[in-house]
Amino acid sequence: MKEYQRLYLENLQRIVALNDLADMPADGAAFLRQRREHTGLIREIVEENNAMLRRQLFPMLDDIASADEEEIRALEDFAAHLGAGGANQPDLVLHYSVRCALVSYARKWGKRDMLIQQLYWAGLALFYMQEIIDRCAKVRYRWKMGLLFGEAASYIKHYDEIEDPETRGYIHRSMGNLSLAYGGANREDAEKKLNAVRRSLHILNDPAFQAKTPELPWDKYIYVSHQERSSALNVLRAGISDPIVLGEVMASAQFVREYQEEDCRRRGAKPMVRWRMGYEAAQYHCGVQPLGDLLRWLEEAYMQRDESDYSEDGIYANISLPALYAQYIDQDGKYRLKKKEVLLHMYRQVAQYVRSAPEDQARGILTKYLLLFLESYVEYPDGILEKDFLLQLVVCRQPDAYVRFRLAAQITQLMAVHALESRPELLVGVLGCRDVQEVHRRGEEILQFAYDSGLLHDVGVLAFNDMLVKLGRSWLEEEREMYQYHVYAGEYLLGRSPSTRPYARAALEHHRYYDGSGGYPADYVPEEDAGQVITDMVQVAAYLAQATDEANPQNRHPLTVEQAVEQVRRGAGTRFSPEAAQLLDGLEDSLQAGRTVAYEDAFRILQKPVAP
Amino acid sequence: MQNHTLEPVWSQASQPVLALEPQGDSCRVLYQNAAALALCSGCESPLDVLPEEETRALADALRAGGGGGPFFCHIGNRVYAAQLMDWGGWHLCLLQDATAYYNANQAALNEAVMASQAKTSFLSEMSHDIRTPMGAIIGLTEIALSQKNVQPRVHECLTKIKVASGHMMSLLNEVLDMSRIESGRIILQPAPVSVADLLHEILIVAGPQADSASLSFHLEMGRVEEERILADSVRLKQVCLNLLSNAVKYTPSGGDVELFFAILPDAQPGWVRMAVRVKDNGIGMSPEFLRKLFTPFEREEKPTVNKIQGTGLGMTITKNLVEQMGGTIRVESETDKGSCFTIEIPFEAVPEDDSGAFAALEGRRVLLLDGDPKQGELVRQMLGSLHMKAGWAQDADNAVLMLNDADLAGAPYSALLTAEKLPGVEMMAFLSEIRKRMGEGFPILLLSGSDWSQTEYMFTQAGVDGFIPLPLFRSRLAAELCACLGPGRPKPGWEKEPAPPLDLSQKRLLLVEDNELNREIALELLGGSGVQMETAENGRQAIERFRDSEPFYYDMILMDIQMPVLNGLQATRAIRALEREDAKSVPIIAMTANAFVEDVQNSLEAGMDAHISKPLDMEKVFATMERFLGRDQK
Repeated sequence: MKEYQRLYLENLQRIVALNDLADMPADGAAFLRQRREHTGLIREIVEENNAMLRRQLFPMLDDIASADEEEIRALEDFAAHLGAGGANQPDLVLHYSVRCALVSYARKWGKRDMLIQQLYWAGLALFYMQEIIDRCAKVRYRWKMGLLFGEAASYIKHYDEIEDPETRGYIHRSMGNLSLAYGGANREDAEKKLNAVRRSLHILNDPAFQAKTPELPWDKYIYVSHQERSSALNVLRAGISDPIVLGEVMASAQFVREYQEEDCRRRGAKPMVRWRMGYEAAQYHCGVQPLGDLLRWLEEAYMQRDESDYSEDGIYANISLPALYAQYIDQDGKYRLKKKEVLLHMYRQVAQYVRSAPEDQARGILTKYLLLFLESYVEYPDGILEKDFLLQLVVCRQPDAYVRFRLAAQITQLMAVHALESRPELLVGVLGCRDVQEVHRRGEEILQFAYDSGLLHDVGVLAFNDMLVKLGRSWLEEEREMYQYHVYAGEYLLGRSPSTRPYARAALEHHRYYDGSGGYPADYVPEEDAGQVITDMVQVAAYLAQATDEANPQNRHPLTVEQAVEQVRRGAGTRFSPEAAQLLDGLEDSLQAGRTVAYEDAFRILQKPVAP
Repeated sequence: MQNHTLEPVWSQASQPVLALEPQGDSCRVLYQNAAALALCSGCESPLDVLPEEETRALADALRAGGGGGPFFCHIGNRVYAAQLMDWGGWHLCLLQDATAYYNANQAALNEAVMASQAKTSFLSEMSHDIRTPMGAIIGLTEIALSQKNVQPRVHECLTKIKVASGHMMSLLNEVLDMSRIESGRIILQPAPVSVADLLHEILIVAGPQADSASLSFHLEMGRVEEERILADSVRLKQVCLNLLSNAVKYTPSGGDVELFFAILPDAQPGWVRMAVRVKDNGIGMSPEFLRKLFTPFEREEKPTVNKIQGTGLGMTITKNLVEQMGGTIRVESETDKGSCFTIEIPFEAVPEDDSGAFAALEGRRVLLLDGDPKQGELVRQMLGSLHMKAGWAQDADNAVLMLNDADLAGAPYSALLTAEKLPGVEMMAFLSEIRKRMGEGFPILLLSGSDWSQTEYMFTQAGVDGFIPLPLFRSRLAAELCACLGPGRPKPGWEKEPAPPLDLSQKRLLLVEDNELNREIALELLGGSGVQMETAENGRQAIERFRDSEPFYYDMILMDIQMPVLNGLQATRAIRALEREDAKSVPIIAMTANAFVEDVQNSLEAGMDAHISKPLDMEKVFATMERFLGRDQK
């Protein structure tokens, strides 16, 4: 590795440490000081990294074909470090860019072995990028992933010409990974996924191939393929009842369970609950056991979990088991009612578990599991509302973000107060109010709705939390485009439960220009909404909170409140609603104090035990 | 011919009475009284001596429930007025002698017909004579409009003259056509016609018409049983274009015009039926007006119609032409909802034996990528008719899956046939990745309904080998596939000469780049366009070259960002600050790669006009150059 590459990686670790909340100061004011100080340091690191990449890495990537072998070796090493850690890799998008450059280099100079390996790694980087986009219910990288893995796998035709066993291993791994290009969300997609696994296993189990390259870890490859098939429970949920498919999934679940048990026996470790769950669920979906038995097993497994285990399997047991439990009881009206108390208990436990999570470990993985958890959230009117859970969750994961939400909420509410006092007619239509009299009668309710809209409008950034807290340089175009999907992630998160649904629209529209001439999502055409004025207010509030945010290292030139308000006034009629812009008159003082208050609030919530 | 129901009532009546039922073009007599029988001598019924057209008119009237008329029946040397009535479920025809009345009015009728013929003749002659000077007016107006420095007021008047004279010309043409139809002077001249050419010619007129009226125009292709027919292509086009231009005229902007086109099998061996349906969601027609739709010079009286120019002859001409071709025309319409015209015309097919020509395609596997179910199904059927095996992917994900699966199964596809657009995918990027994945020897053919010459360069750069125009015809599809896959192919797509680069030989470009190798590459890549290139090695040199040149000497500057001495941002700011007339306007394009979002933003803020990624992607370079050099800089 080159020196700048080593330094870059070290800088990324420093940034993670600076965003770590492990050493919390004693009070809110100190907390705010610490955040400002850390942000300043992060900005310096970002500038240093930017300069190194601009000066040394980017020119080489621009002209990768001319790079010498020593440079390429260093770049390969750098890429390996950038991509280390699977889903939790230090710089996913830069890793992908470097892998693409290496693919170009290998293609240009006809380096077949290198091409196969780099195609594999580029495909894998895309897989993790797609995982992030999955949280926004968007598909962006699957076809390209399929092309990269497919091209690497297609060298199976030249297997005998390839002498390097490692490269042969990459061909098998690419062939296995072709199944990753399918989400398995519907029957058709699920069938493709299973076909890919079947084809991969067929070759992996072929003695002829095993004899050709005996040094490859065949057992591991086979195990991973079975894992992929047994974890594809959505394949069964997609309605496939073909007995051959059921048999295959059962066999894979059995294989994984036995493999795990044997492996754990050998290492003296505890078997992973995830694969046992795969086995039990497969038993249910294949008709071997009824739903009641599966639920009973889930309850037992959950009760046996270790509440202080924040390893990936621990997170799975503490968060995913309740999520799966909710998903299964939600399918059956009888169980939804009968198991209500059990589920509510689990939810309280999940909240406690999340609240107690150490910030210095598993940050990204925990967020990923929580988002999956929310996908099957079952809301009971007298239980924990998803809205409350989300708010607790947001605070736990990223206080800087909470401060921004809190500020946006405050501004939105102030604007609503102003509207209620001076222009109540603007609020007709909000929460179904039919006239000004009703607006006045339900004023408190409207103000609370405005506040909550501001508080929840940007929860979609949760899906990108891990990416953001690790980011140690300015954004690349690919990242910016990925990040813009956060509005869909917000809409997706909020659109499911009754307590959050009314806020979904503000989440989707808060970056869209009032007149549709700019912003994003670009392809979104809003339908008429009687309560649009609240969304318009949120849009203004979100801008003010964002533009004045000093804690965001990407915000290189934070504006003062006066400057930001001036920008809103200038953009009235195009970017912002003219009515919403007018409602800012006289609110500057409140806005000035807002950020400090918000930080103190964030600190207070961070310190307070969860009591949802 | 006794009848127990009618006989007691009508047998003694002095007025001739017949009970009839329609039977094809004539009528069957179910009952006739003595008075009726007395009208003819030596025959079984007075209907036996009726002229054929009068019998047919009676049959039609009976089928229609007894309306229409008046009916005059010539029996012997007398003329009878026929009154049709329903009597207890019987269709009765009561005859009354109207000889005197008829003879008196016939003279007036003859006079009227002669006057009408004289009018038609006069209009025809006059139209013909006016057309010649009108041509001159139109031509001279065009010339006057094309002159530079025309004063705005004069330009406005000329534009109005152009519109009015165009309207006048179309009026004259329609009057002439009408007079030809009325005088039976239109004689169809059938000749073998390519349906593909015919439809193409219709679309190149109708598409832009709809575009300029801000309408969405959609073509739906049905089955095309035969691609060559025996038809008068001029008149056939006239019929179709009349329907389409009416739809465009009477549909407010933002509306939809749909054309369905098919060549269907016909019951008669060797014949086919052309089915054309033109549907719009425009202002529609009232039921009252629908009855008069095909009458010459009829236009509906309502404000929306009055604002639209028209003679009221178009539909009459259309109907006459369709009927002359042996076809039928139907119309359904509702006020403010829209209209739907359907024509069906039989044509003799001109079959071609192409089985030998396309033998090379038999059994070959092609992957079709098309998200439009109807279009995709049509292409799939055509590929099947060429005995080819087609896989069909409706999105990019599936296309990749199928290519991979086929490849890994050892039976790869021979070619990719792809639609020009797919939802959610940037096609040029996608096809470029497919090209990389499948290698240079894999033909990629693009199905496109747009003007290929406008996108050819871009798609060729993205890896596309050829283009098949939409709407798709089997012959064209087969010919293109043969060119790529057949043994006698002149040259497969991937061996073709690259598409000619843009001709920029009149343009001069300053390339500012510190890296010598990159300068050489750029010079080589851009050289193909003929552009005159000069180079600078850093920002300072760039400023000096620009400052020392004549104003507007350079048409564009390609500027690297990171350079020694003075970087691209600083150089751009300095150039923009120079006191010379082209300092603000000369396009400056940033060249960077793997840049941060903020770098791109900074370059724009420094005064650059656009950003191109390095290594130079010629597709983007030329697109950017075309965008900026298309403007008249000098």
